[in-house]
Amino acid sequence: MASSRLALGVAGGLVVGFLALLAIVGMTVWLVARSNTLFHDTAFQRDTRIAAVELRDALRTAESSQRGYLLTGNEIYLAPYDTAKARAREQMADLERLIVTESQQPPFLARLREVVDEKLGEMDQSIAMKRAGSDAEALSIISSNRGKALMDEINVFLYGAMLNADEKSSLFEAEQQNNAVILRWASIVAAFVIVLVVAAVTYTVYRNRQEIAQARDEVRAVNLTLEERVETRTQELALARERAELLLSEVNHRVANSLQLVAAMVMMQAKTVTDEPAKAALKETEARIQAISQIHKSLYTSNDVTSVALNDYLGVMLEHLGVAMRNDGHTARLTSMLDPVALPTDQSISLGVVATELVTNAFKYAYPAGQSGDIRVMLRKLPRKRAELVVEDDGVGMGAAVRPGGTGLGSKIVASMAAALKTNVEYIDRTPGTAARLVFSTAP
Amino acid sequence: MQSCGFALVRQLAHAALAVILAVASPAAAYAQGRGLTKPVVLPAFDAARPVCAKPRGLKRELVFVRDNDREFMQGVGRGLALAAADRRLAYRVVRSDNNATLMVKQINGLHAAKTGSIVVAPIDPPSLSPALRRVIGRGTYVGAIVPPPATTILNAPQYETGKVLAEAAAVHIRTRLGGKAKVVLLTHDNLQFLAPRFTAMRDTLRKLPGVTIVADISPATVDKAGGYRTMKTILLAHPKVDVVLGADTVVLGALDALRETGKARPDQFLGGIDGEREAVAELKKPGSPYKASISLASPVFGYAMGRFASDWLDGRSVPQAMDILPKALTRANIRQYERDVADPGAVYADPVRRKSYLRMYGNICFDSRDRYIDFPWSSERK
Repeated sequence: MASSRLALGVAGGLVVGFLALLAIVGMTVWLVARSNTLFHDTAFQRDTRIAAVELRDALRTAESSQRGYLLTGNEIYLAPYDTAKARAREQMADLERLIVTESQQPPFLARLREVVDEKLGEMDQSIAMKRAGSDAEALSIISSNRGKALMDEINVFLYGAMLNADEKSSLFEAEQQNNAVILRWASIVAAFVIVLVVAAVTYTVYRNRQEIAQARDEVRAVNLTLEERVETRTQELALARERAELLLSEVNHRVANSLQLVAAMVMMQAKTVTDEPAKAALKETEARIQAISQIHKSLYTSNDVTSVALNDYLGVMLEHLGVAMRNDGHTARLTSMLDPVALPTDQSISLGVVATELVTNAFKYAYPAGQSGDIRVMLRKLPRKRAELVVEDDGVGMGAAVRPGGTGLGSKIVASMAAALKTNVEYIDRTPGTAARLVFSTAP
Repeated sequence: MQSCGFALVRQLAHAALAVILAVASPAAAYAQGRGLTKPVVLPAFDAARPVCAKPRGLKRELVFVRDNDREFMQGVGRGLALAAADRRLAYRVVRSDNNATLMVKQINGLHAAKTGSIVVAPIDPPSLSPALRRVIGRGTYVGAIVPPPATTILNAPQYETGKVLAEAAAVHIRTRLGGKAKVVLLTHDNLQFLAPRFTAMRDTLRKLPGVTIVADISPATVDKAGGYRTMKTILLAHPKVDVVLGADTVVLGALDALRETGKARPDQFLGGIDGEREAVAELKKPGSPYKASISLASPVFGYAMGRFASDWLDGRSVPQAMDILPKALTRANIRQYERDVADPGAVYADPVRRKSYLRMYGNICFDSRDRYIDFPWSSERK
């Protein structure tokens, strides 16, 4: 929530700052364009004013020249006359061009042109008369006051043009000053806005960091509590597990001991029985009980009660079985090659029983009495979480084997156990000898 | 009141011509029987001067010899008649109908008839002057309306007249127009003696930094039509005009032009000189741009000249010269002014009111009549 508020605050600030910047830039661009226009307009008004002043000056120069000549008859006074007249006409044309360009033709322009022409004509006429020696007529033109009246009227028009130009220039200047003031204030306001935005964003970030730090402290505190609780709970669980493992080990120990006791009682029973088949059956039973007991021994001596290290278990079991079989007078040599394979406890019991039956059969039937040979037990790990147990001998083979006193119980047990392991036992005639092969899954 | 300024000016022009002729003469300075021919600065009139001898063998009569029947002269005649009645002088009017020769004859006739006092508005001063000198030499009181010669010469101070109008405009500009105004001066080129009026206006307006004289021009004809045409021309170049000053007649024409073009505004100041009836009527209209007219109260100075004529015949000293002071008529004071010109005797009797209309200079009486003014006198002479 804090981060979203921060993002919102920063984004809002950036938008406002951007808009302020955009406003300044836009206004600056507009003001520069307007300033350009005003500059051109002012220059135009200045040109108009200059044309009006120049026209007036030219007419005055011409009039002064005329009056000097009429008063003295000295041609020297007429030296600037023609130039002044020409300049007056040029300036009149300029003024017309400028004023007409500005907008529509001002109402006085036609009359101005008329009176300027008349004024120049009046001066020409009086000078011509003076040159012709008609002084009185020349002076009468002056005395008529027409020249002054024309000049007065021209002055009215020219002063109007000048005043108009001055007023417009003043307006343009005032507008430029106003624009400058507007720009200054806009910049100040925008700068203020930007400063406010920066301050607001800074404050938001500061607040957010504070909130994050506070949240982190709270999380850290909670974590500390949680860790303590987890540690305590872990310790409790470890203790409980130790107890459970101890209990399970004890149970396995007792079960193993009990099975040992049962096996011993079966052994003792076998010793008391005289009937050989019964004795043999009891011994087989004792071997089978031993095999199961061995599983429980390996369980209570192991740290893992869910699986059994099959190679260790089979190793110990085969050693005990070999000793037992030799004690019963069998001479075959039992060897084993066991790869390290782990198997769940229940399956290990089944596999142990199968191995016991197959090895016992091999001792009993592979080699006729008085003949010795090898019995090899191999546990191999196969691909795809599989393993195989092979019990092979170099004996007489299954076809030639005589099974005196055999009840077929062993075969049933093997088949039953193999079924429990979801497999079956494959008997291979090796000629000589037989191999019993069982492939099983090691997946838990 | 109509065209009083023009009348005075025309007479002043004639007087100027007379003095030019006089100055051109070798014996022009001061000569026995020719009065004062060189400009002198006259002191203020001293009413307490000792009495002189009374003119002998002259009729106790006042005759007003006037050039025509214009309104201004009617006002003078009314003042003279009232004064004559107050002082029990016989009074009559002699009309010259703008005929200078007739006027000379009339003066000569009055000389032959031994008339005791004459007030004259000369038509052609150069031709009239000899006759007037003769009359003065015999001891007759001669009051002249502007041109010399005269025992009492009347003049209107032109600079002061222009100044009064311009100051009224200045007050309006400062109080109503915020100190800024575009001003039109409608001058009068044909009468150079009026130039001081416009000099005064320019001098006064120059002191206001916000004032711009956008046109300083003389209408081709100094009448209402001339003012109208000139103002129309000015409006072509200056569409916004705040103040128009000139003679009443041309300013009234300018007002017509402003109204016709829709440029007349209540806050404008249009002011003229002469106190013309139409101008006064405009003054009285609420919201009219016409704000002032400078009037020369002819009944008041006519009354004063009638009193001087009586005093002269009684052997008392009278002023050698007199200014009729310009009065700026406005809506505020027009009623009082009308009361004053209706009863000039009351104004003359009240020293304060009299002083507001008249300013008197120098002393002259029957015994010192050889010191009569015979040059174009003006209190504003530089």
